[in-house]
Amino acid sequence: MQSFAVLTHISANFKGELPFMNKQNAPRIRIVTAASLFDGHDAAINIMRRLLQQKGAEVIHLGHNRSVHEIVECAIEEDAHAVAVTSYQGGHMEFFRYMKDLLQESGCGHIKIFGGGGGTILPHEAETLHQYGINRIYSPDDGRKMGLEGMIQDVITQCTDTRNYDEAINKWGDALPLNELKDIRVVARAISLAENGDIYDTLLQKLQRGRQEAIIPVVGITGTGGAGKSSVTDELVRRYLQAFPAKTIAVISVDPSKRKTGGALLGDRIRMNAVSNSRVYMRSLATREDNTSVSKSAKAAIDICKKAGYDCIILETAGTGQSDVSITEYSDICMYVMTPEYGAASQLEKINMLDYADIIAINKADKPGADDALNDVRKQYKRNHQLFSATPEQLPVISMCANKFNDAGVNSLFQLLLETIKNRLQLPWLHEAETFNNMLQQPQKNETIIPADRVRYLSEISKCVRDYNSWVTEQSKTASQLYQLNGAIEILKNK
Amino acid sequence: MIMLYTELEEKYTSLQNKLDPELQKLLGEWKQLQEKYGKEVFEYTVRGKVIRQDMATTSLSGTSIKKVMLPKYNDWGDILRWQLQENVPGSFPYTAGVFELKRQGEDPTRMFAGEGGPERTNKRFHYVSAGQQAKRLSTAFDSVTLYGQDPAYRPDIYGKIGNAGVSIATLDDAKKLYSGFDLCDPHTSVSMTINGPAPIILAFYMNAAIDQLCEKWIKEHKQEHKAASRKKEKFSGNEIPFYNDTTSPDIIPTGNDQLGLALLGISGEEVVPPGIYEQLKASALQQVRGTVQADILKEDQAQNTCIFSTEFALKLMGDVQEYFIRNSVKNFYSVSISGYHIAEAGANPITQLAFTLANGFTYVEYYLSRGMHIDDFAPNLSFFFSNGMDPEYSVIGRVARRIWAKVMKHKYNGNERSQKLKYHIQTSGRSLHAQEIDFNDIRTTLQALYAIYDNCNSLHTNAYDEAITTPTEESVRRAMAIQLIINRELGTTQTENFMQGSFALEELTDLVEEAVLKEFDRISDRGGVLGAMERMYQRNKIQEESLHYEHLKHTGELPVIGVNTFLSSKGSPLITPGQVIRSTEAEKKQQIKNVLQFQKVNETKGKESLKTLKEVASQGGNIFAELMNTVKYCSLGQITHTLYEAGGQYRRNM
Repeated sequence: MQSFAVLTHISANFKGELPFMNKQNAPRIRIVTAASLFDGHDAAINIMRRLLQQKGAEVIHLGHNRSVHEIVECAIEEDAHAVAVTSYQGGHMEFFRYMKDLLQESGCGHIKIFGGGGGTILPHEAETLHQYGINRIYSPDDGRKMGLEGMIQDVITQCTDTRNYDEAINKWGDALPLNELKDIRVVARAISLAENGDIYDTLLQKLQRGRQEAIIPVVGITGTGGAGKSSVTDELVRRYLQAFPAKTIAVISVDPSKRKTGGALLGDRIRMNAVSNSRVYMRSLATREDNTSVSKSAKAAIDICKKAGYDCIILETAGTGQSDVSITEYSDICMYVMTPEYGAASQLEKINMLDYADIIAINKADKPGADDALNDVRKQYKRNHQLFSATPEQLPVISMCANKFNDAGVNSLFQLLLETIKNRLQLPWLHEAETFNNMLQQPQKNETIIPADRVRYLSEISKCVRDYNSWVTEQSKTASQLYQLNGAIEILKNK
Repeated sequence: MIMLYTELEEKYTSLQNKLDPELQKLLGEWKQLQEKYGKEVFEYTVRGKVIRQDMATTSLSGTSIKKVMLPKYNDWGDILRWQLQENVPGSFPYTAGVFELKRQGEDPTRMFAGEGGPERTNKRFHYVSAGQQAKRLSTAFDSVTLYGQDPAYRPDIYGKIGNAGVSIATLDDAKKLYSGFDLCDPHTSVSMTINGPAPIILAFYMNAAIDQLCEKWIKEHKQEHKAASRKKEKFSGNEIPFYNDTTSPDIIPTGNDQLGLALLGISGEEVVPPGIYEQLKASALQQVRGTVQADILKEDQAQNTCIFSTEFALKLMGDVQEYFIRNSVKNFYSVSISGYHIAEAGANPITQLAFTLANGFTYVEYYLSRGMHIDDFAPNLSFFFSNGMDPEYSVIGRVARRIWAKVMKHKYNGNERSQKLKYHIQTSGRSLHAQEIDFNDIRTTLQALYAIYDNCNSLHTNAYDEAITTPTEESVRRAMAIQLIINRELGTTQTENFMQGSFALEELTDLVEEAVLKEFDRISDRGGVLGAMERMYQRNKIQEESLHYEHLKHTGELPVIGVNTFLSSKGSPLITPGQVIRSTEAEKKQQIKNVLQFQKVNETKGKESLKTLKEVASQGGNIFAELMNTVKYCSLGQITHTLYEAGGQYRRNM
């Protein structure tokens, strides 16, 4: 219950847009936001992350119920300047101290910690946490005094002092942080240097070269905004980790920067369940000044991940328009993710990626019109590639539901992806997936919750009630007339 | 004159043909109804038992006041409309209530507890229910349990063990938690506030009830030695689990007769002969009474304690309901379809009602699609709403009951039992403020009055200090007094349909009903509840309404006494709690020790059980039926992780 009092206060002060700092000179502050483990109160952190972004920060939002390990791993991989976490469910002393400890142990004590929990965090507890090295726990009283904007400005101001951040590199030893298989700190910082146009080669010398594969495939995943690219990526990573128990993977995910504020909401991680894993490196990139679906720094990021020895790399773009094919410049294999909701079939003729994609995934196949979409896209693909004699099954067009667990379509997509990589790049280790693929061959029972012909049940229900009400009106009108007639008859009878 | 008379008669006959015969009958019965409600005593039957109740009360001034008042309409149209849209409590469309008269001897109050380990909460349950014949318990779980994990030393878990709710990780914990309460007694009713891992916790509860019957059988048949030797064999070298209140070791709380503790560490199945066990199991399942919240749709829309992928979570709910039907679990609600959390997250009362009813109809459609019969499951559904200060809250129960009844009868062809919507009310936590906290009881009183006038079936009144801290015994007692004063002192509540016939209330009922239908249409246009959820429609709407409220509160357009107006000379400052009740180190450590030992002792059997569970899940079998076995040998966290592999984890949304 305590949370509401605070939230009330926070949102009371929130009146829309805020004045911004001069974006041109603002440093690119990167902040990870989350609500603590076993804590579903995400309203406050949602308001915070919006304001941070409006102030020009790049925000990597993890959402609610996140463990310390997940948050710390994310902060290191994203080379964040700070984490901002709310905790309304108790256990905050242990939670924040553990976060500080884990960052410190990982050589990342420079990552600042900000927190809040309304009335659940008592003033003397906040004081104890400050002494422990937590940069600031904001109290309801701070909210009253500083206002919401003041608190956010305080976070940003503290983050602009980057002395510890800059010096951290010199302290990193050989021990790998968080039992990861690679030095994710170095990879993360190298990518940041590349993003800022600085030289990163010297830093890469710190990487302990493991056995590096000769060919490292780069899979590009692109598609319109809201098509479900992140879910598809997550589902592919999950299957990859199961299929290749000794292999590593890096995911680079791009989201757009807001031109007006310079800030960005890097929201792909919130959808990911599989990436918090010692064999996975994930990095979110904002497009920054570029007006494309892929960040300029993506090439460098891929290069760095290759040098770090990741066995496979996925590059996920921001949402694209019909003409965008920039992904093809970066990747060996391109996948285009779309939904059945593209409008008329003629729209397909305009989508450039249908010419260039190696694989086309039609997500949300439980939506109406999914069968038509599969047909239309196959037809378009045939035309684009002059494959007039190909059978529909031979075409690399797959219909699937990434939001369904163990979806048969996603299983086929994964197999098709491996097949395509194998044919294109001749990777020797891909056969390791055979056992896993055999497992996938088991027939899947894909149940739907509401059958397609029942989807309009709520309309039927409101009609049912309205019909009843009009029937009542009509029948009681008749009853009234009968009452009146009866009255008249009674009067006449008695005359 | 004669000509006119004949013409009138002819017109009368032809109009009569236009009036539905059923309705003619209904009108014909109006006189009898008036006579029935004019009597001093009322007789009716509940499950074959004839119950006699007084139909009038006498005030101190000697006025005899009827419990149910009928309108004095003469016009048949008015009477008919009233019968079809209002009617007396207990008659279709149940606008005024689903029972003819309120139940005597059982207040709708629930005894709420949940803190520390199972022993501490058990002690509190016995304390708050002492002296009451009806044991109506309500359980709050700690956040570790709410998210389906086991207690552990990892600091981000450790700090949350037993805070803001009770820590329950194994069947033994559940047995301790409800020990000394006869779970198969019709006077015991237990509500459990849990959603993500609800099926697992429910399986704990059902097994605890079954093992209580086994325990009784063992004592009756003098088989205690068998249980003892089984324990000795199983726990060789390990400590046999026992009830251990770390704050006062070796003491069982007053009122706890230890029923449920004899089989700690083992299942009744390990002692009682197989045939007998099956009998006892069947009998327990038919007798248990209570509610498990288990409403996963509102979790995704408002509260965020989802752990499994939404689709899998729904499948689990369907499995529970199917199991209930197969095993005649008739007195237990398999879900409490909740608007409370939707309202707490900021929704206005119309949105709360519309989203909640829409969620309810979604469960109906899903269960029907799985081949269940409407009358087999509709009576297992219950509802839970919040009551705040807005005018619409005065009719929330009326509108809910009326829509549900109309739809159940005319769309789903459900029987009378299916048509009756029963609901629990909790006064709004969001309407409580951290300034001038004494004023909160006044708000709660008014909200409780709305609820009681509206004939809610169950009511929880918040304590005034809940806006700042965990309620104390003193504040909880005051909150209970609010209900008791309204129910027992306030003269107008002796009439059970006191608000019926109010022009304003009738108008409001119609307006809210239509507003709810409009919302149904909007959700339907977005592909139904699940389609709308995918677009985050519900979340966004709740958020918008929340901001609207905060904005009006901030500007003062919405007056809140002692918060934005009528401030004290000191400016009505925010009150912060001096201290907060937290679980002790000893309790946390004990919970960890217990779950680790449980896993160790059951290692072999546990592994097999998890494997079977996974197989059942991947073959599309009834997972709850299997969970009823799994929980005997596996902890909550072990089961959750196995189900992640079988059904997928929840995917968060931006």
